[in-house]
Amino acid sequence: MMNITPITLEVFKNKFASVAEEMGVALTRTAYSPNIKERRDFSCAVFDAGGDMVAQAAHIPVHLGSMPLSVRAAIDAVDMGPGDMVMLNDPFKGGTHLPDITLVAPVYAGGDTPLFYVASRAHHADVGGMAAGSMPLSTSIFQEGLVIPPVRIVSGGEIVPGVMALFLANVRTPVERQGDFAAQIMANRTGVARMEALIAAHGRDAVTRLGQALLDYAQRLMAAAITAIPDGSYTASDALDDDGAGSGEVTVRLTLTIEGDAAELDFRASDPQTAGCINAVRAIAVSAALYVFRALAGEAVPANAGCLRPLAIITKPGTVVDARFPAAVAGGNVETSQRIVDVILRALALALPDRLPAASQGTMNNLAMGGIDARTGAAFTYYETLAGGAGADATGPGQSGVHSHMTNTLNTPIEALEYAYPLRVTRYALRRGSGGPGEHCGGEGLVRELEALAPMEATVLSDRRLRGPWGLAGGGEGAPGVNVLTRRTGEMAMPGKFHVHLRPGDRLRIETPGGGGYGSSG
Amino acid sequence: MAVVGVDTGGTFTDIICRTGQGFAVVKLPSTPDDPSRAILEGLARLSLTPARVMHGSTVATNALLERRGAVTAFVANAGFEDIIAIGRQNRPDLYDLASRKEPCLVAQHLRFGVPGRISAEGRVVEELSIEDAQELAARVAASGADSVAVCLLFSFLAPEHELLVGEALAEAGLSVSLSSDILAEFREFERAATTVANAYVAPVMRAYLGALAQGLPDGAQLCVMQSSGGLISADTARREPVRTVLSGPAGGVVAALAVGKASGFDKLITFDMGGTSTDVSLLDGALSMAMETVLAGMPIKTPMLDIHTVGAGGGSLAAMDAGGALRVGPQSAGANPGPACYGRGDGLTVTDANLFLGRLAPDHFLGGAMALYPERLPELFTALGAASGLSATEAAEGVVAVAEAAMERAIRVISVERGHDPAEFALLSYGGAGGLHAVSLARLLGVETVVVPRHPGLFSALGMLLADVVRDFSETVMAASDKTDLIEVAGLFGTLETRARQVMAEEAPGARMVLERQLDMRYKGQSHELPIRFVADPFLAFHNRHEAVFGFKHPKDVIEIVTLRIRARVITEKPAFEEAEHYVAAVPAEAKLGQRPLLWRGQEQPAMWYERDKLLAGNHFDGPALVAETSATTFVPPGASVRVDGLGNLVIAAGGQD
Repeated sequence: MMNITPITLEVFKNKFASVAEEMGVALTRTAYSPNIKERRDFSCAVFDAGGDMVAQAAHIPVHLGSMPLSVRAAIDAVDMGPGDMVMLNDPFKGGTHLPDITLVAPVYAGGDTPLFYVASRAHHADVGGMAAGSMPLSTSIFQEGLVIPPVRIVSGGEIVPGVMALFLANVRTPVERQGDFAAQIMANRTGVARMEALIAAHGRDAVTRLGQALLDYAQRLMAAAITAIPDGSYTASDALDDDGAGSGEVTVRLTLTIEGDAAELDFRASDPQTAGCINAVRAIAVSAALYVFRALAGEAVPANAGCLRPLAIITKPGTVVDARFPAAVAGGNVETSQRIVDVILRALALALPDRLPAASQGTMNNLAMGGIDARTGAAFTYYETLAGGAGADATGPGQSGVHSHMTNTLNTPIEALEYAYPLRVTRYALRRGSGGPGEHCGGEGLVRELEALAPMEATVLSDRRLRGPWGLAGGGEGAPGVNVLTRRTGEMAMPGKFHVHLRPGDRLRIETPGGGGYGSSG
Repeated sequence: MAVVGVDTGGTFTDIICRTGQGFAVVKLPSTPDDPSRAILEGLARLSLTPARVMHGSTVATNALLERRGAVTAFVANAGFEDIIAIGRQNRPDLYDLASRKEPCLVAQHLRFGVPGRISAEGRVVEELSIEDAQELAARVAASGADSVAVCLLFSFLAPEHELLVGEALAEAGLSVSLSSDILAEFREFERAATTVANAYVAPVMRAYLGALAQGLPDGAQLCVMQSSGGLISADTARREPVRTVLSGPAGGVVAALAVGKASGFDKLITFDMGGTSTDVSLLDGALSMAMETVLAGMPIKTPMLDIHTVGAGGGSLAAMDAGGALRVGPQSAGANPGPACYGRGDGLTVTDANLFLGRLAPDHFLGGAMALYPERLPELFTALGAASGLSATEAAEGVVAVAEAAMERAIRVISVERGHDPAEFALLSYGGAGGLHAVSLARLLGVETVVVPRHPGLFSALGMLLADVVRDFSETVMAASDKTDLIEVAGLFGTLETRARQVMAEEAPGARMVLERQLDMRYKGQSHELPIRFVADPFLAFHNRHEAVFGFKHPKDVIEIVTLRIRARVITEKPAFEEAEHYVAAVPAEAKLGQRPLLWRGQEQPAMWYERDKLLAGNHFDGPALVAETSATTFVPPGASVRVDGLGNLVIAAGGQD
């Protein structure tokens, strides 16, 4: 019988994390599309029998709080036998937005019921819908692509052909989807095999109990971090420019209450959900809260369900942070998630002004493009997000040209992009002077300009175009972002969220926001 | 005329030379301000007149890590000057609100743009004039930079713009590194970063190799170990020093392969544990290669041995964290104050745990040259365990277990994650501390055999004597299988081969050479490549390999040949390993140092200590036992047994879990 000691805790923390990481390696190794392989827009994790997350590899923070809900939904909807896998992307049943497809597999290890589950989630570059890249300026979930409720896609180790055919018939780039999906299956198989090996080596009882002990361990570390925050009630708000459908400002409001080793995050005063696509489901608010508090607690805290226990997150159904069916949600995962982080940081800064940074760019600058590549006659879709300025803090200036908070995906190399798509990059540079002023300046945003070499459509989903990221402790705002379309007829300033048909020779220039400054410069 | 292997490490400089009766060796303190001083002194001590010096050098590595390189400028297409600073736009640490990248090696005012643009098809879509190039060169020359890296988009397809810029810069008197020379492969940031790293260390390397050559006798040939485990001439190392950034650990891995083969172990996992970090690599009958590493925050993309490093070593510090888990590292006690048993500090380390548990002997540590203070350890380990109800012994055994878990994870990265089952491999342990953990680690991984070679503390230097002269050539071609037939594929290699032959004629004049050809291929639309050896039908080979590695193939899809690679290898003359003529099972009495107490799983029991240098071929003994030598100690736990093979290696049967 293996006892729970400081030693077994540390050793098993490594072992569980290894399983999630090995899944990620398998997924990267076998994935087909640049979005997963080069940009690494995916996450892998291990869950206990009740669907609580035991370990997540250090992948994408926005998946942190939402993957458990996907796993929960899969467990509730489908009775998974050994060798089965369930896929889903329905934001109202545990997903976040449609391109993120989650694949869940049970770990039986020879028993009668699953002891654990493993799951992989990857951002697929197209899942159908009204615009190439499936990140449209939509007003309903039904415009955003194929909605997949929890459905058995692998049965007894074999892909269910009818379900796969249905999925592939609804997307623009089926070969790529099939390749990426095969990689997710491979990742899950790796996870199942590693968990079974772990159970074989140490016994069902020991592995289960140590999984639970790791949740308690994370809870203790998180509680210790919250205890270090002064007790009190802190209120903050911040707004998105608009919803892309004419809403005007959409505000996220938070009252954060710290009491001893517990924190309550009350988002109920936030604006109602909107017609446009920036609605976030509750899982995204949970992810944002987890991200901020885990960052506060320090690197050693394992990413698991124990982190969540000291946090009470209260949302009101029908608001922009807890959207109800059939709201449009394509941008909630990428844009509203960043604003929720900004609001939590702003509230915490009232309690801990020395420990928190000013606002970072607060957007992911999503750019999706698609059309027919005349060189091959085949359809293509391309999706990327652009980094920007990070907020400065008491210790120094903000970083320039980096992704912040809820994402950390890589850029696509210019040479890889130009090989693969009828596009030419005409500028990629730091946006000098965009960082907010202060004793420590905010980081600089980026400038990226793309020229279409063939007719294509483009969708831009970006924010912080009207007002720049806020400074802290007297520091100034970073410069708001700018979107410009250049045609033969001249330059046109574009809004933060738009859809456009490009002709060959048209150029799209995205200038991303600078980070907020820290401390007064005077 | 002697052939000498030299390894310059952070602490010691090791020199090894084949003599009539084995190897002459010397180990002396390094002289970091000018590493050549220790080398020349060591050669003098051995009274050697070297004909060839094969050198593992950390000069390029340290210049990067300590940021002591040249003031370096970067030239890119106008509008792309910052690509070297933007990198891949990710932050290094996901959950650190104050996460900061290491500063860019090129200051903002030293990034320059030139007109001109090449398309993805290799066509010039915007011209670059000689005047443009000269105007740029004048600006760079006036900037105060000593060295300059040039990386233009798609230069690997059409280098003419880079060559034009390079000529103008050279005429202006600058040290120039061109990306089409250093790394003619696609993905602009990795190519730019590798070229910048080269430019950054080139002046430092030039000065160092100049000083060293001056101290060597006239006519002595100087070679430098590359990250790939192959040697290059000092001339090449001066021009392309970026190829040597992992020179240090490469020697040990090369030696491991040779020693393993000579002793009948083709499949090896190497385990090199030092004071602050541990290096591991996997050898499946050949050296495992990787293409990229990260140093000073920059990706370096040259052929290199696939060596994985973790920040856990003998000096890693142990502590309980706020959640009640025992953590070991990544903080290290360093050389000062060092482990608690050095008598200067209270921080408990893995070394202290080993000493407390009776796996190190104070009087045999570094041959007894360094005094240790074990007296304080019981009190310190009692304090460490007290808060969580652990005894001092449990706490010390816990420190060892946690450190071994970190190393186990490192080995899983290079084995399981790459599709290998560690149980099919033997674990070869070298470096000072490796032998203390190798058998326990083998048990965790299901490995049956541990090999501890002769001279484990001089293994890297030995590797220099066992390496070939190797140069790697590569070129991205982007040829699609629907537009390229097999004859054209063979033709594509022609240009690269001509270049390889020309270069090698200078590198190793008159020598017999082997060319190894390889293609990096992928299905069109994929973003990663699979290396395939050049065979009669490389496309068929790719489909099959893809299925073997990834579990599926698409025989009807278009394949892209992304990059061609040629490795030119000159087989050098190497010292042979001489096998013993007589084998004796019984350990001679003079090899037995006597019994001492050992703590194992909470129990005290006696363990025999052996002196490595007195053991003979064929000797056999069981654990619990310890084997002491000047620079290393090997722990043989209960249940394991040792045989000394004909080459003097300790071959340990790890035994089961209990």
